[in-house]
This record gives sequence, structure tokens and C-alpha cells, in this order.
Amino acid sequence: MKFDIDRYKEIIDTLSRNRSRTLLTGFGIFWGIFMLLLMLGGGDGLKKILNQNFEGFTSNAVIVGAAPTSKPYGGFKRDRTWYLDTKDIEAIKTLVPETDIVTMMDADWGGTMTYKDNSYNGIVKGLTYEYAGVESPQLLYGRWINEVDCSQERKVCVIGKQVWSNLFPDGEDPTGEYINVKGSYFQVIGVDNRNGGININGQPDQSVVIPYPLMDKMNNRGGRFDIICMTLKEGADSDVSQYKVRGLLSRRHSIAPDDKPAIMMLDTQKIFKIVDNLFKGVNILVILVGLGTLLAGAIGVSNIMMVTVKERTTEIGIRRAIGATPKMILSQIITESIGLTILAGMFGILFAVFILWGAGNIVSSLPDINNPVSFQIGFWTGIAVLMLLVVLGVLAGLAPALRAMNIKPVDAMRDE
Amino acid sequence: MLIELKDVNKTYFGAQPLHVLKGINLEIERGEFVSIMGASGSGKSTLLNILGILDNYDSGEYRINGKLIWDLTEAKAAEYRNKMIGFIFQSYNLIGFKTAVENVELPLFYQGVSRHKRHDMAMEYIERLGLKDWSGHYPNEMSGGQKQRVAIARALVTKPDIILADEPTGALDSKTSVEIMELLKELNERDKLTIIVVTHESGVANYTNRIIHIKDGIIGEIEENQAHNSVRFGSDGTLK
Repeated sequence: MKFDIDRYKEIIDTLSRNRSRTLLTGFGIFWGIFMLLLMLGGGDGLKKILNQNFEGFTSNAVIVGAAPTSKPYGGFKRDRTWYLDTKDIEAIKTLVPETDIVTMMDADWGGTMTYKDNSYNGIVKGLTYEYAGVESPQLLYGRWINEVDCSQERKVCVIGKQVWSNLFPDGEDPTGEYINVKGSYFQVIGVDNRNGGININGQPDQSVVIPYPLMDKMNNRGGRFDIICMTLKEGADSDVSQYKVRGLLSRRHSIAPDDKPAIMMLDTQKIFKIVDNLFKGVNILVILVGLGTLLAGAIGVSNIMMVTVKERTTEIGIRRAIGATPKMILSQIITESIGLTILAGMFGILFAVFILWGAGNIVSSLPDINNPVSFQIGFWTGIAVLMLLVVLGVLAGLAPALRAMNIKPVDAMRDE
Repeated sequence: MLIELKDVNKTYFGAQPLHVLKGINLEIERGEFVSIMGASGSGKSTLLNILGILDNYDSGEYRINGKLIWDLTEAKAAEYRNKMIGFIFQSYNLIGFKTAVENVELPLFYQGVSRHKRHDMAMEYIERLGLKDWSGHYPNEMSGGQKQRVAIARALVTKPDIILADEPTGALDSKTSVEIMELLKELNERDKLTIIVVTHESGVANYTNRIIHIKDGIIGEIEENQAHNSVRFGSDGTLK
């Protein structure tokens, strides 16, 4: 079998001089590839959009919340309300070595903030400087609360995006300005640019964050609060750590050891895993449907090639009569099929890339999206799809080629 | 002896077995211009297919240049056809989406001749048949006579031992038919080509130097026709 340029020129000639036939045959593959890539890219883009909701959130955080007890224990009746306190934090830090950051969160829903004539009703959160390790802020201006702010109880605050746009409608840099939060004045030191998404105790964009000690004083709670946020050290088993924390807290607050509802625990690792699995499932579905469409396209190619081989009986007969061997005919039809699938597939890839590019641009320009989202397929996905095209081309061409191979020159003469 | 057939038999096995060739004995020498003439159903097409290595025969012997043509693989048969035989068909059998010169190039393509050499050789034959200005045209842009000339160029381009023409004038008007037959005659006389014409028209057969009559699968009369006066038809150059 010779591998010269002529053979390929012959194929290109055959394909390009029978345009409508080529177009018709290639369309199935074009559509299959287009759909497959569109769904792959779309699924990936959706995942990225969803992941924006988890932005800044550590994947190994454990949130602990105090809720009324559901069982009587240690002389207390059920439905007792209890609170976490600063000593709990110390105890967890010393007795559960798996924990890294352990910090409190206190929040006031429905706090009025004013600046000049503008007011906004949002959430006031009392946090420590350490909290940035649980949920890292995206600062548009200024800085986050630091250790000194907390220890010296400075009257400073970091405001959320929506608070900023309501209190400072002209969009100016608010750092250094003083805003009134529930009756006291706080100096703005930063603006957090995050959108909603998953959150603890209220959306970050609607919140004003002040140092926890001030919050405690403002509300007069005496070092008591409802939520502890902690992160685990690298490699720490989250179930073991949670078990230890639960045991510690139930002892310290006289809660029944098996009273699960009283100590609420949320493991972000598990949530991340659920989302991950969800998208794995989506991907499998996309690949199945996409490959199905592609396969249908390939069968279509095979089908139409079968018809065209029949239509070309005379042509093939002539070729055989003037000296083409069956092998040459076989390789011609298969090469035509591969050429056709690759050509059509390339158009499919191009079109899908173009549409995904457009979709990415449109989605990225939506107001709810913080960072530009790319819907684009990866380079290696493209290469893999190309390989797949060659395989499909061979498969699609096989049956028609075998049929063409069996055409006898005499059959062609009779076909007149 | 270029072509030798000894007691060649061929039966088509269908619902009703059909014994088409019943022991054909025939010898054709190099440089001869002969016609095989017979009515439809006489077995002349089958004989042509066997002569052209397009079909197998059941028994007997067929030799070209002393080479026995028997039990060939498809690939070997294709190679022999390509190198030894040039075909001219009634319906031209050009490939519609290829230009005249590309059609002529095709047998050379299957021989593995390089592109430039192929093109040059094809152009040489196209020119020789007076189609220089038509080399880039597609078959459907040409007249029947021109198409048949392209087909003849395609048959000649591989310099085969035998030219097999199956009703070469069957689709042409009488004037063009004369031109084509004159052309074949000239090719035989000038280039000493061996040409076998299969026809049912006595006028066409009259152009050849020997007329082999076939009837019901048996060779009948073999007429020497050097004077080209075997039929009243054609003696004055009229074919139809």
C-alpha cells in the first residue's frame, strides 16, 4: 500500500467534488461532536459557577452550633437552652489537637446601619481575626480585622458588598469613614466583595463584621455565643475530631452524650464531597448522552456511506476494471470515511468552542457572577475527541468499505 | 500468439443453469484488428468479460502472451487488467467528477506512477486524440465522441497489449461512429495495437480485418476482411 500525497488528494477530490453528499454524511458527526462538547463544557462551567458559591470557604471546616437539648440529663430537663462560651474555645484548642483554628461567631440579624442619609438593614457579625482562615474574605478595599483590633477592642468594621453599595451609593472608597451600627460608630476598614453562596449565619454581602469583643459588649452576653467555627489540621480525621469535640462539649455543658440535636455539627468536607459526586454523576451522564449522540452520528455516516457505495457501484467498477485492487478500494472508502468524520468533527469542535466561548462571556457578564467563568473544554479533551473521531471514522467506514470491496468490475458494467 | 483460448466453457448457475460458452477456441495475434460479432445472447459479452479478466471461466485455457489466466486473486487480476488490457466501453464509463485528463490519469494512479509523470503522460494521449483544449473539462461538458476519445486515451495510456472495445459506437451517432472507428483503425495501423471490437453491428465489424462470428456460445464463421467488403453496409463508409 502506498502512502503518497496522491492518495489523499484523491480522497479530498472525491469529497470536495460531491459536496452535498459530503455535507449530508458529515452532519451527523458534526452534531454529535457539537453536542458532546457543548454538554461537557456546559457541565464544567456549571460546576465552576456552583464552586463560586464555595469560594473562600475552607474545605475542612467544622461548624458547631448550640441548640436546645432534646433529652433530660444531669438533673436538667429537656429543651434546655445552652450557650457556647470562650472557655469552650480554650478547651477545644488544648484538648482536641486535631483542630487548627477555633474561633467564635456571633451574629445579630436585623441591625440598622447608617451613613449620612443612607441606611441599610443588614446582619452584624462579631468575628475574630482568625475567622479569615475559615472563610477567606475577598477584599475590594482596605483590610480584614487583625489581632490588635480584637485585643484593643477597636471600633472598626468590614462591610459587605451590598452594605457598601447601599451606604455609599456613589461607589467611593469607604475606608476611613465612620458608619453607625446599631447606635455606635465604627470606622470602615475594608469592603468584602463576596456574593452570597454558602455561608454561616448570613450572607457576607449583607453583613457588617466587627471585632467579637465589641459585639459581646454591645449585646451584653458575657462571653457567650451560639457558634464555633474551626478548621482541622492537614490529614486530621474529621469524624474523630468531631467525636472528641462532641464529647468535650457534652461534658462541659451537662448534655447527654447521645444527644445529637443539642450539639449541631456541620462538616464542610462532606458538603464538598456531595457536590463533587453530583458533578461526577453529571459528567458521566453527559458523556453517556454525548457518546450516544456521536454513535448515532457515526451510524448515520455508515448508513449514508452504504447508500453512496451502492450509488457509486459503476464508479467503483470502473476503478476496478482499470486496475484498482480490492484493497485499494477498501482503503479508499475507509480513508474517505475517516476524512469525512475528522472534517465534520473539526467543524463540530470549532462550533462548540465558539458557542462555549460566547456562553462563557454572557454568563461572566451577569451581575451575580463575581469572577469570569470559562465554559471552555480542555485541550486534552479536544485531542481525545479527535482520536475518538478517527476510531469512529474507521468503524463507520468498515461496513460500506467491505461492501465496496466486493463490487466486481462486471457488476459495474451491468449496472448501466 | 498474443491471445489463445482453448475449449473455454462458461456456465451461469442461476435458477436455470445457462451454458453460455460451449468450448471456445480462438487465437489472436499481436497487431491484429479483429471484431467479435454476434447477436445479443450469443455469449459475446461473456467472452469479452473473460478476455478482459473481468470474469472467470469454468474450464479450458486462456493465455495472454503465453501466461495462463486461471484462478487469479482479485489483486493479481487487477494488476493484469491494469498492465495488459485497455478497456473502451459503450457508455464511456468515465468518472463524472473527474476532468478528462484526470480520468486518463486514473490507471496510472493505480500503477503508482508519480503525479507529474502521470499528468504528462495523460496530457500526451489527450493531445494525440485531439482533446488538448478539453483536458480540464468534466465528462458532462463533452459530446459523446469527445467522451469516447477520452475513454480511448485512458485505455491507451498504460500502453496495454490488448485494447478491448465493447460496442464502442453503441451510444454514438453515425458520423461520430465513423470517426471513432477510423481512429481505432488508425491506431491499429500506425501503432500496431492489438484491438478487439465486440459488436453486433456489421458496419462496425466491417472496419476490422477479421470478423469472428459467435452464435449460441460457439465460434462460427471467421471471415478474413482485409478488403473491408464483407457487408454492403460500411463499404462506403456508412455505418448506420
